[in-house]
Amino acid sequence: MNIKKYVAYRLLSSFFVLFGLSLLIFSLSRLVPGDPARLALGPMAPQWAVDKLRAQLHLDEPIYIQYIYWVTNVFRGNLGQSLVTRRGVFSDIVEFFPATFELVIFSVILSTSLAILLGVTSGKYANSLWDNIVRITSYVGIAIPSFVWAIMSVFIFGYLLRWFPTLGRLSSGALMPPKVTGLLLIDSLIAGKLDVFRDAFYHMILPGTSLVISRLAQEARITRASVVENLHKDYIMAARSFGIPERTITLKYLLKPSLIPTVAVMGMDIAGSMGGSFIVETIFNWPGLGRYGMSAMLSNDINAIVGVVMLIGVFFAFMNILVDLITAYLDPRIMMKLRSG
Amino acid sequence: MKKISTSNKTLIYVGIIAVIVIAAGAYWLMQPAEEPDTTPEPEPEPEPTEPIAYRSTWAWPNRIDPAVGSDGSSTATHPNLYNSLVRITPEGVVGPELAESWTVSEDGMTYTFTLREGVMSHAGNEITAEDVVFSMDRLLTMGEGLAYLFLPYIGETTAVDTYTVQFDLLKSFGPILTVMPNFYVLDKAVVMENIAEGEYDDLGDYGKEWLMTHDAGTGPYMVREFLLEEKLIMDKFEDYWGETLAVEGFMFVENAPDVMEMIGTTEPITVRTMMSRGELERTDSWQPIESLEEMVQTEGVEMIGEVGTSLLNLMIHTNKAPTDDIHFRKAMAYAFDYETAVTDIFPHTTMVKGVVNEVLPGYNPDLEPFRKNLTRAMEELEQSAYYDQLEEIEIEIHWCAEVPAEERISLLFMDNMADLGVSVKIVKEPWLSMIETMADQDLSPNVVIVYNSVHFPEAGGDLMRYHSESAPTWEQNEWLLDETLDEMIEDALGTVDQAERFQKYGEIQQYIYDVCPTIYVLQTTTLRCIQDYVDYPYVVYGEQVSGIVYKVPLGFRTYYGLYTGVNQP
Repeated sequence: MNIKKYVAYRLLSSFFVLFGLSLLIFSLSRLVPGDPARLALGPMAPQWAVDKLRAQLHLDEPIYIQYIYWVTNVFRGNLGQSLVTRRGVFSDIVEFFPATFELVIFSVILSTSLAILLGVTSGKYANSLWDNIVRITSYVGIAIPSFVWAIMSVFIFGYLLRWFPTLGRLSSGALMPPKVTGLLLIDSLIAGKLDVFRDAFYHMILPGTSLVISRLAQEARITRASVVENLHKDYIMAARSFGIPERTITLKYLLKPSLIPTVAVMGMDIAGSMGGSFIVETIFNWPGLGRYGMSAMLSNDINAIVGVVMLIGVFFAFMNILVDLITAYLDPRIMMKLRSG
Repeated sequence: MKKISTSNKTLIYVGIIAVIVIAAGAYWLMQPAEEPDTTPEPEPEPEPTEPIAYRSTWAWPNRIDPAVGSDGSSTATHPNLYNSLVRITPEGVVGPELAESWTVSEDGMTYTFTLREGVMSHAGNEITAEDVVFSMDRLLTMGEGLAYLFLPYIGETTAVDTYTVQFDLLKSFGPILTVMPNFYVLDKAVVMENIAEGEYDDLGDYGKEWLMTHDAGTGPYMVREFLLEEKLIMDKFEDYWGETLAVEGFMFVENAPDVMEMIGTTEPITVRTMMSRGELERTDSWQPIESLEEMVQTEGVEMIGEVGTSLLNLMIHTNKAPTDDIHFRKAMAYAFDYETAVTDIFPHTTMVKGVVNEVLPGYNPDLEPFRKNLTRAMEELEQSAYYDQLEEIEIEIHWCAEVPAEERISLLFMDNMADLGVSVKIVKEPWLSMIETMADQDLSPNVVIVYNSVHFPEAGGDLMRYHSESAPTWEQNEWLLDETLDEMIEDALGTVDQAERFQKYGEIQQYIYDVCPTIYVLQTTTLRCIQDYVDYPYVVYGEQVSGIVYKVPLGFRTYYGLYTGVNQP
């Protein structure tokens, strides 16, 4: 099997996974107590209005018919109407996704660079003072969930020290740059507004780091374990016996294989942070997909719930494939296996 | 400990450089936005005045279309973007707004309003009777939001001439003028320009999608930008008709905000942080008391409360054993500790003195309120058909999972019932599930804890929830299903003469009191924190009751720029 075939195979299997996910989340959203139409229109809305909305949402049909309607519409690019925003779920996702994506990208850059740096240095100098410091901070990082970090960071850096803003993507009164990508950092640069860029970056620090800390700690630990394991492998010993400089050994021979488990975890972490941002976005009033999903769940906004979960599912599937490809690149054995077929 | 070899210090160097870069970046971020300009200025330009901003937090979502929204943030937004025909004045009576005057036919079936001339919308169109007809038709056709207040009563709306509009009623409805402020007039031309494909034939979606993020109003503020899931930004409408026509009571007060920001968060730590940093003028009404008390410690922040019209009720199922027995219900009502509920669990609230909130017109003050009295409770219990089966009885009480303080009320109830020898099972239930449970008479528990709001500021606005039509909704767990009571409610609501209507409300309250279907726990007080430089409307016009608590005019709405001045420091 060559790489193209492998990717095609993974895409096909992802399709089945997503199909299963859609069945599950669609059924669950319809089985949750409470009539979505009644909830959207309020307890005093006339029955005819409720019935009309139910008919519009096909809620008066059996669940498998509802699913067929939904799937048919999905292939037409229509994820249904949100009961909260009263707009198409697809339009809502297009509007809210960039804010979350920007946050995720920021946290990925931060966590990847720091996790590798901390993991490799503590692995290289295992059992040193530095390693012990990293170990203890990592345990704390892993043990505390991101929403607790979010609350703590708002309290410490927002309330006590007043270093960083704690609300939204831009300061009150700041003008949004013209929308090109929806990513404020990029849009502000395109518009040549450095003050907006700085403001947007400034707003991203607390929510971004809150999302990162738990993930970073875990990835650093995994990298460290992998480095320690590889450090005593024969090929490293052989390299040392040939007198190859330690720096070359670390960067050329040790780093690459040591990153294989880290990359696998990182991929899932990145995809997970799409869903994991729900509470963090709520705390920072970050107008992203997480906050949208949260309000959809609280309002039993069935189409929005399914839309958001499916998007996260697609993101997971994509990251899975990407991780496999990166792993194959890092591990020649896998690449050879794929090529030989 | 291993020694760090010299050749492998590269990574450490990289780490140090990274730290320096991050520190430099952080330093850059902390710097003021503009570097001071050292070149001499030929003529010093007058500095532009900083716009006065009023920023407040709210529970989201905010549905700014007045034919769709009916919750707290939506109904606070509507009067700032739109105008009604009439309003409730700060003195608490019905007064003119877009309508200069009105007449009522002798049989109370026809209401004719004469509109003010020269009222311009945000788009620059004059508002006429045609806009009023369009707006009412839209509200009734869509059937959403507060349409339920008009649907049973409004038959036909007619534009008699450019400035005269007539409403023909389907049946008499006494409080119609009290309800009218909930009907907002839209600029028809603007709506029609923005209709999309939809279910209303030629009218497409009736402008629904566009009006969720824009306005077509005449109000003192207009939508600048609605960042869904984040905040609504409104700008002062400089050509507001109150100003251009110089209408008393509709002109901007001194230091009226130039910009209004309604921020969609109620997260306590976020709200508290913003308040302490002076980034917020007023908090939402959902902050826990601990958080409010903490905020007050900040200099310049004060707590205020306004007496509400809502009640916190323990709704008792009157068609389910053992609470189907009136003596059993009365025993429960006499065993409950109201004092503890209002002092320890919900401070700053007050005890209910009857069947409806005492601030509502039409309240019957002659009913002796239920208070904890174990002797009377035992006397009632002894008369109950279940007295000899107490050991086998277990009452189920449900509380809403989203309102943690209700658990304490449940525990108090359990403790109080233990005094009677009755055991209680407490069930925590999410709101959505609770609604489902309460829609079924068999599934509904013995007791449910629910906040009940009034539909309009009269006793009838609360009493109507006891009508059988409300039984399958969360508004009534009592399942009274009493035809006599239904007739009494319908008769009272149909009475045009106010004095007669209020007398009928009084009789209904006596009727309900005798059946004892509800334990009225407390009258709510809405607590908020504000910055002391804000002239809060309720404080301006309200009557101080005690300490921080203010009584506000009933039906009073938040017209920001008209009643709120922000004297920014």
